[in-house]
Amino acid sequence: MTIRPARLPRALAASALALALPLTGCAGTDEGTASDTTTSPTSSSATAAGDPEPTAEPAQEPGQRLEVTVAGGQLSGDTGRVPVPVGEQVTLVITSDVADEAHVHGYDLTADLQPGTPAQLTFDATIPGVFEVELHDAGTVLLTLQVS
Amino acid sequence: MTLLAHGVGSRTDLPIPIGFALYGAGAAILASFAVLLLFWRTPHLGGPDSGRPVPAGLQRTLDAGGVRRALQLVALLLAAFVVVAALAGPEETSRNLGPWVLFVTFWVGLVPASLLLGPVWRVANPLRLLHRLLRRWGPDAPGAARLPALGLWPAAGALLVFVWLELVYPDRSEPLTVAVFLLAYAVVQLGLALWFGEGWFAAGDGFEAYSTLIARLSPWGRRSDGRLVLRNPLAGALATPAQPGLGALVMVLLGSTAFDGLTRTTWWQTGPGAANDWFSGTVGLLASIALVSGLYVVGTRLSGRLAGQEERIQPARYAATVIPIALGYTVAHYFSLLMLDGQTTWILLSNPFGADGVDLFGTYGNRVDLTAVSADLIALVQVGAIITGHVVGVVLAHERALLSARRARASDQLPLVLVMVVFTLGGLGLLFGF
Repeated sequence: MTIRPARLPRALAASALALALPLTGCAGTDEGTASDTTTSPTSSSATAAGDPEPTAEPAQEPGQRLEVTVAGGQLSGDTGRVPVPVGEQVTLVITSDVADEAHVHGYDLTADLQPGTPAQLTFDATIPGVFEVELHDAGTVLLTLQVS
Repeated sequence: MTLLAHGVGSRTDLPIPIGFALYGAGAAILASFAVLLLFWRTPHLGGPDSGRPVPAGLQRTLDAGGVRRALQLVALLLAAFVVVAALAGPEETSRNLGPWVLFVTFWVGLVPASLLLGPVWRVANPLRLLHRLLRRWGPDAPGAARLPALGLWPAAGALLVFVWLELVYPDRSEPLTVAVFLLAYAVVQLGLALWFGEGWFAAGDGFEAYSTLIARLSPWGRRSDGRLVLRNPLAGALATPAQPGLGALVMVLLGSTAFDGLTRTTWWQTGPGAANDWFSGTVGLLASIALVSGLYVVGTRLSGRLAGQEERIQPARYAATVIPIALGYTVAHYFSLLMLDGQTTWILLSNPFGADGVDLFGTYGNRVDLTAVSADLIALVQVGAIITGHVVGVVLAHERALLSARRARASDQLPLVLVMVVFTLGGLGLLFGF
């Protein structure tokens, strides 16, 4: 399957990336605190409005924090199938060495990934089921949320 | 691409609770022996001539050529619309009608439609209409005489191609794939129908054969004199003609659904299927079908040997008794897809070409409600379908054994029943995710 929002042409993405680099470089200086280096989550295309609205409030961070790092096509961190109780707040922190877009299926949340900059998605796991978190361009499945 | 198996969808089912799996397994085993030891000792279900005839007027209407042509025309227009929408609609799968109609609404919806209404796709098959129009200019069915010998093997082949597309082909969810498949399928089927004659569709159109197979378990049936009757679905299933390839058709359905379940397990995703490419998928799909076929052939032949009957004819003789088990698998695996992700079709129907500001039925702004059916209900339906399919299958096999030999011993039926138990425990295991 795939729910695949339109991709930016690679050239365009690359040039946008070049523009963004100086900015992320600055932000990267205090990489220890994830709160400052997050890119705000963006809901995908037309189906955005709905209950599992992402709330970007990393200050409190209750619930479950899951971190995945992509480097050279290899995954590390909380990969595989991750059980999450229904109703729990989930904070996904994804760091990729290449620009891409992360997509939480079912909940239909997306986050833009800039190289080296952790992107954060926070949402309440209110829908039971098994959902993939996938990199859109690479097509890699980062992890699978098992909400039950 | 992604690990989710079947054509489209945003979620997969949770593993069923261990309690469900264990109770289900216990119930299946218990029911099997109850059927063997406690049920009737002489054939009990009605034969192919049983059933209550429907009013003659109703049958005349349903059988009227004009009515069928009209239904086929509606289906043809809908199919053409879906192909155009797949080609001209939005490029993203999430916004394009084509993949959702083909893989969810049509393919999965065909099951409840056929189960309730009978062989709907035989009646409404749009290719039959096109064939009627084209055959005037085509050859005069030079291959018609060879068709009966082929039985249902062509349909089993056609379905194998479709399930490969649905479960294995990496670009299966792309709208372009859907359009190309539908057009190519129509062209190939029409060409073969021109060669073999109109009888080809029943033997070689996978969707029609699938609908007809499921309809064997519907309350609608046809007596041998052609009269349309309402009857016990079990009698209808047993009246299935033992055509060559019937077993193959059932095994393609059972094996492919099992493979779909397999691809959702962590074992597959991190083991043999980790590469998630067409090679591992093709091997997995063929291996699944080969495994269930092998078990089935061994079980039926062994039962035949114990009963002192010709072994060679046994797999064909019992093929219809596995239909309910294949149906149980299908319901268990696709119920939630139809109920949840199936909502997408009705949302996209409001704006099939993705034009700005178009919202024909006021549904375009809706969001798929993935909580419309609770996880508990899904698990209940899954286990219920597997167990019901098993019990009906064992009952049918029991009756079939009694029909083949009046004094059939219960112990002779044991190998086949054990194979059915294996199918059912395997099915529950796949739902549990091992």
